[in-house]
Amino acid sequence: MHAGRWLLWVVPLVLLGLERPAPPSHAPAPDPRALRAARAVPIPPDNPQTPAKVELGRRLFYDPRLSLDGRVACASCHRPEFAFSDGGKPVSVGVFGRKGSRNAPTLTNVAFRRRLFWEGRSPRLELQAVGPLTAHHEMAMEPEALAQRLSSIPEYARAFQEVFGEPPTLKNVAFALAAFERTLLSYDSPFDRFVAGDDSALSPAARRGMELFFSERGDCFHCHVGPEFTDDEPRNTGLYTVYPDVGLARITGKDEDVGKFKTPTLRNVALTAPYMHDGSRKTLREVVEHYNRGGEPNLNADPLIRPLGLSEREVDDLVAFLESLTDTRFIANPALLPPR
Amino acid sequence: MRGLAIVLGLGLWVGALAAPVDLKINLRVGEAPLEWGRIYQTPKGQRYRVDLLKFYLSELALVRPDGREVRVGGLALAEFRRGGPTQGVSVMRFEVPSGEYRGLRFDVGVPRELNHQDAATQEFPLGVNSGMYWAWNPGYIFYRLEGAAFLEGREEKWVIHMGTDAFRIPVRLHDLQMRRVRLEVPPRGTSFVLNLDIARAFLPGPNGAFLDWRQPRLRQLHGMSPETALVMSVVYYQMLNAFSLAR
Repeated sequence: MHAGRWLLWVVPLVLLGLERPAPPSHAPAPDPRALRAARAVPIPPDNPQTPAKVELGRRLFYDPRLSLDGRVACASCHRPEFAFSDGGKPVSVGVFGRKGSRNAPTLTNVAFRRRLFWEGRSPRLELQAVGPLTAHHEMAMEPEALAQRLSSIPEYARAFQEVFGEPPTLKNVAFALAAFERTLLSYDSPFDRFVAGDDSALSPAARRGMELFFSERGDCFHCHVGPEFTDDEPRNTGLYTVYPDVGLARITGKDEDVGKFKTPTLRNVALTAPYMHDGSRKTLREVVEHYNRGGEPNLNADPLIRPLGLSEREVDDLVAFLESLTDTRFIANPALLPPR
Repeated sequence: MRGLAIVLGLGLWVGALAAPVDLKINLRVGEAPLEWGRIYQTPKGQRYRVDLLKFYLSELALVRPDGREVRVGGLALAEFRRGGPTQGVSVMRFEVPSGEYRGLRFDVGVPRELNHQDAATQEFPLGVNSGMYWAWNPGYIFYRLEGAAFLEGREEKWVIHMGTDAFRIPVRLHDLQMRRVRLEVPPRGTSFVLNLDIARAFLPGPNGAFLDWRQPRLRQLHGMSPETALVMSVVYYQMLNAFSLAR
């Protein structure tokens, strides 16, 4: 009875966005200069990195023969010029024109992701790669068909034998792709140069945006944490009141997980439009405005989602800072582009 | 003389342990054998074809007349593809003591302690080469049925991918109360043949919900998504009675 009366008051207030729980206490904002990014790439012991394996992974990454209709490669949806995202498409198109329901994320620094896919439920690149290779609306390959097709291509048969000592299988295709993906490293943005001591690397607007980003007022840094600009945690960001795609709840079946998606990295974010899990926000400004408004009413919304009260100029400054996370050398790195 | 008795006794004991059993499956649509390429109809009038069935079978045990179990254990992946056999297909071989049993039980699924290990390090029938690993949802698809539906002249692919620990299907084909089930395992071994009625998946549930392929979201039935959980629960409920002992 008491609980029911309490709900009568609280639910409408929360739905109207009039009353939100106070943001939880978090670690204080870091000094951006402390965010030096150079770290050793974690390599799993069962998939040691070798130049030959990385090169094989690169060939596979750009090869549409890995898909059922022979027209879709990993690179079809993870295009280098868009920081390995899908270049303006809200959702990607797979074999036979089948459409997915989610926006292809950037592969920038994917070696450091602790969780993969938008729900964050895949723990390592070797397993994640199996998903697109076999998914009905992506590349739609059966393990046997993939092994057979690659075995019939002499250069692949030879390369797999050299790298893995066995013919192609779905598993070693995934291992080679993971090895290549671990080389997709991007740490040469204006922000990185600023962190390294170049005060002129950031424009005045970007610098103001940086101060906001790492402040309690702008409050971006609690989720977009550290040099990778993500903590890999799933959150509901109040994108919708009713989510057409339920996110993490698709796996857990729990009401409290409806609308939760993994926090994405912001590195190269200016190259990866459109935004959010469904590609529903076309520009960075739209995204920042969404957070500035405090999102849509949603009972699962993260407590940090609340109206920020930023001015138009401050929104522009934040966008300028996000644009300073662009690493143009990364997208032109010949070692990451299609093999000749 | 005493030595001979020991040898004979040991021989009988070893023989009792070593009776081989071959577990076979007949795929059925209702009472009839499944025919690849044939177009069937659901109780709701939707026309469909079946192209693929794969499922894991685990935690197998035979049940003695006194209710005790002889646990076989092990894990098998049964696989049926278009053009392949559908009747009397051997899916698992094991050994049990010869004697009389009142039935058997098993699960369709992967035991929890195997379902969440790193699939990149597991061997067949697990692992990523099994075609049953669910990359976005750690663990395996337990029961994978795929085909096509014919909707107003259009052919639409559909899949049922049942998995996650909550959807492990317990199959109980023993009867200790009415004693209607009797399985004999002679010392030389035998075969047990099960019927699997794949069309059970298409029966409406007690609440009237059914797998309606006119709804695009129900053509891709996966795991526990709240969008499709009700229909997946119906399929699960119907699958509980999809297996039977062949007469």
